[in-house]
Amino acid sequence: MKRILGLALGILTAIGGFLDIGDIVTNGVVGSRFGLSLGWVVVLGVIGICIFAHMSGKVAAVSGRATFEIIRERLGPRLAVANLGASFFINLMTVTAEIGGIALALQLASSVTYLAWVPLAALAAWLVVWRVKFDLLENVTGLLGLTLIVFAVALFLLGPNWSELGAQVLQHGALAQEKLSTYLYYAVALFGAAMTPYEVFFFSSGAVEEGWTAKDLGQSRINVLVGFPLGGVLSLAIAGCAAVVLLPEAITVTSLSQVALPVAAAGGKIALAVVIVGFVAATFGATLETTLSGGYTLAQFFGWSWGKFRRPVHAARFHLTMIICLLIGIGVMMTGVDPVQVTEFSVVFSAIALPLTYLPILIVANDPEYMGQHVNGRGLSAVGLVYLVIILIVSLAAIPLMIITGAGQ
Amino acid sequence: MRGSYPPDPGAQHPMLDARLHLLDRQVIDVDGEPVTAVDDVELSGPPDPRHLSPDDPAPAVTGLLSGVTLGTRIFGGRSPRSRLHSIDWRAVSDVGVTIVLHIRAGQLEIGWTERWVRDRIIAKIPGGRHDPE
Repeated sequence: MKRILGLALGILTAIGGFLDIGDIVTNGVVGSRFGLSLGWVVVLGVIGICIFAHMSGKVAAVSGRATFEIIRERLGPRLAVANLGASFFINLMTVTAEIGGIALALQLASSVTYLAWVPLAALAAWLVVWRVKFDLLENVTGLLGLTLIVFAVALFLLGPNWSELGAQVLQHGALAQEKLSTYLYYAVALFGAAMTPYEVFFFSSGAVEEGWTAKDLGQSRINVLVGFPLGGVLSLAIAGCAAVVLLPEAITVTSLSQVALPVAAAGGKIALAVVIVGFVAATFGATLETTLSGGYTLAQFFGWSWGKFRRPVHAARFHLTMIICLLIGIGVMMTGVDPVQVTEFSVVFSAIALPLTYLPILIVANDPEYMGQHVNGRGLSAVGLVYLVIILIVSLAAIPLMIITGAGQ
Repeated sequence: MRGSYPPDPGAQHPMLDARLHLLDRQVIDVDGEPVTAVDDVELSGPPDPRHLSPDDPAPAVTGLLSGVTLGTRIFGGRSPRSRLHSIDWRAVSDVGVTIVLHIRAGQLEIGWTERWVRDRIIAKIPGGRHDPE
């Protein structure tokens, strides 16, 4: 019974943990401009993150080494420093976007400007990172994030023309009013939103935090293989809601409130309240994950002591790094940049940097010296290689597409 | 590199490759606390570098270095010896996925930045000395 409960909890937190501000905003924007015609990218991204998270969880459980220790060891100092720079910078951008997301969600609830919420949101995140145990932190935010299921409910309440939605899914290409380059640019963004590197830093470091061993692999595999796809279904529901309500009216999503609009239209005030709780939980959870990831990457690269299972005084530089990350996040947000735009850039840059973190994990997961009997089998190796090619193509295409489309304008 | 560490006949790889097995590996102390990553390796030199003879002993690893060497490994050059911190090779008890020491991190000079941040900043914030709840 306890095993089943543990399994259910793991799956539920994986669903809740999958969605963050990047997924919410990007799916909203894409749904309102392209309908469900980019749904295949979500599927592609979800399969990718399942493979990536599974391999990095496996490496962490078998070797006890988290992702960034391996990145430095395998790539050598030159490439690893470049990798650290890029990963840390993109992670910082994501921390900033998530803090902005909490503040925007609280603005929706309170009508007080988001700028007032930014320092409070970051302070609350720091208190949790400073004082709360890892498993509690992971479970509570994951479970609260499940309230975003309201998007799936709203989609049914809206009673859309399902065959029309289905036709959008099958229509692989831009709708009449959009250019192909813009369509491809948002495909890259959506892929980056589903396969954000911080998810992997957090997942593999979390496995070390919780002291996983090879015995825990079965559970981790189920968490990932069930939880992430269900999280992907919620992503599609967000896009679906926008496609049903906003696309026909030609409303392009530029703010978080517009993402919530279809839910309010379908379920009224109560549904809106639930969505806001979901936004706050998902972005708050992701703020914690990205802040921790900032500490994890730097500490693992330099070999510092790290981890929530230690008292802060036993991982001093790790905690100092996280404090600095949050302070930078507050500073950037307080300049008045648009949180939604920061989010859109952060998902595209995630896609650009993805090969840097994916490749070392793929190499180590195929290394029998490291993995022993848990080394990747032929099937997983083959799929892993196919994804390496996909990730490289996405990464190389991202910057040209960004320039051609003026970042999707 | 052969013979520069206690040879283990049962090990799968009795040969140790400094680049692959030492450089950039995580160093763990006897309590399991991470100490540093290996930034560079210190080798013993010949007794008289001006007059090399075939009878000179082969260079052996004498220490694991940490500090500003990372910059010089990337950009070239050499940093002054005074700015490097060395872990004596004799303190190493095992080389595997990590390098394990048989002493505590606190006994090493390397730990000064961690101690400085701990004593000046982290320990002064309320709750810093307590277990998370």
